[in-house]
Amino acid sequence: MSSSGNDPRQPSSAKPYKPQPVHPDNLPIDYSGFIAIIFGVAGVMFRYKLGSWLALIFCAQSLANMKNIETDLKQISTGFMFAIMGMVTNYLSPARGAVKT
Amino acid sequence: MATPRSSFFFSPRCDTLLYLIALLSLLLHHISADSHFEGFDADDDLEDDTVLFQPPLSDLPRRPPPAPTTLSTPSDPESHHGPPVPQSDPDLNPKTTSFDYWDEDEFEGFPVDNNNVITPPEVIKTTSDDSVLNENENEKARVLEPVSLSKRIRAYTVEMICVSFLIMFAVNYFTGKKENENLALAWAAKFATKDTIFDKNFSLLGVGEGDNSPLLMKEGQNVFKFYASGRRYCQDLVATMELKSRQDLIAKLYNMVVPCKDEITIEVRMNEDAMDHVVFALGKKKAAKVMHKEVRDLQRFASLMTAGPNGRKWVADELMVITESKEVAGDLITETVLDQVFGEKAFQSLGKLFISLHFSDQQQGTHKKMLVFKFALPDVNHMADMTRLVALVPYYIDLIGRYKLSSQARSKTEAARSKVAQEAYKEQQNERQEMLQRKKAEKKKMMEEAASKLNAEALRKKEAKERARQLKKAMPKIKMSRGA
Repeated sequence: MSSSGNDPRQPSSAKPYKPQPVHPDNLPIDYSGFIAIIFGVAGVMFRYKLGSWLALIFCAQSLANMKNIETDLKQISTGFMFAIMGMVTNYLSPARGAVKT
Repeated sequence: MATPRSSFFFSPRCDTLLYLIALLSLLLHHISADSHFEGFDADDDLEDDTVLFQPPLSDLPRRPPPAPTTLSTPSDPESHHGPPVPQSDPDLNPKTTSFDYWDEDEFEGFPVDNNNVITPPEVIKTTSDDSVLNENENEKARVLEPVSLSKRIRAYTVEMICVSFLIMFAVNYFTGKKENENLALAWAAKFATKDTIFDKNFSLLGVGEGDNSPLLMKEGQNVFKFYASGRRYCQDLVATMELKSRQDLIAKLYNMVVPCKDEITIEVRMNEDAMDHVVFALGKKKAAKVMHKEVRDLQRFASLMTAGPNGRKWVADELMVITESKEVAGDLITETVLDQVFGEKAFQSLGKLFISLHFSDQQQGTHKKMLVFKFALPDVNHMADMTRLVALVPYYIDLIGRYKLSSQARSKTEAARSKVAQEAYKEQQNERQEMLQRKKAEKKKMMEEAASKLNAEALRKKEAKERARQLKKAMPKIKMSRGA
């Protein structure tokens, strides 16, 4: 099935690659980052350990699926912040220790 | 002989235990004649070697007998305070320590547990009261310890699961990433290196400039792009590989339930003058119907073609053609293509790798005249399987580049296009008019608002004046003189 005719190549018409600009609104939605934020907030609000851990896991997923560093990093960092905040409130808060003892 | 090792084993425990064990070893020397203790010694060794492994539990009942023997020699000054405790200690301690690693739930109802706790006090009851108290305290401490520890372990199950999941996720991220890269590179090596299909057809390969530019561009961990340009009839070619999200463990687990394929989409942007009016698509029956419904240009211009032209070989039964006119379909599906790919025979082997073709001069997006090929990627070692599919790309570029519709068909397609164009124009005009009207309405609203504002302002001014006048009236008339 070779293309008929002689060499089909045309170096003169070659153009270097130009990445097509993608509008930030057209990017696929980062669901895992969104879920991470929800779990993170739940973890902080209700002192729900598992929530914070799940937030951390979904942060990792979001990070693994990151395509555009600039736009995605914002959401991931918010999710991560909530997760860390939840961790701190859950494990380091004095109130919890008082309850335990 | 067992002591050095066992003492090492117990080192984290308190010193008294060490002392007790030393005592016991002494005792053991005393009563080495006892046959039970010979076996017991061996057991102890075993236990030290395998901490997690619980040695035969049958040796537990054996423990009580030695107790009377040791206690029956109270004359020994050393054994006065020593014996009762060490008796149970040396054997019990390994038990409890190895016990620590047990999940209590798993061994619920295990008979030994109870024996372990109950038998020693029973034995000691026969002896002095003093030792009973002592022993009981020890027992309490020992019983409490494993419970609190297992409780603590249970309290951290969530953490343990999550941390281990995160670790697995991280490991999977790197292995999956590597796997995807290997697959993309295998494709590039097969079709885009020297003397391969794309090299023979395009003068520029890769995303950068120069000969040594990288062939592939990575967009995310599972999307790779390949670019080629410099060929007759077309401007450029972009191949986008969308691989499975192997780097993402959660997606991987999800894909176990809902399987997906590694896909490659090859988009060829044709030159403006090199493509006649062609709207044509080919896919498996189900997918073709979906395409016909969802893709706009197919929906507008084309229709499903249920039967091939008479007296000719046609595509495999699984496939469905969507086309603007029968003529186009007949001309685009040539004998060679049928023979190589879409014929009944050839398609049997290639069917699993073919997804769809879509050629149109009315594509949505910035560039209208475009050929889109969608294939599934085989695994790394079988990349050659899709050679014939990839060969379709330059073949169709040439075929469509040269293709001219007959005048009859052309008039039809032109009519259809002008009709659509008219509709689009009308729509545009409608939109523009709506915009104008909206603007007008907004302007009117603004004017009204301004007017009402003005009114309000005038009213306020009037009121203020009135108030000032009233204030003036109410003010007492006092004259003030200003000092120099």
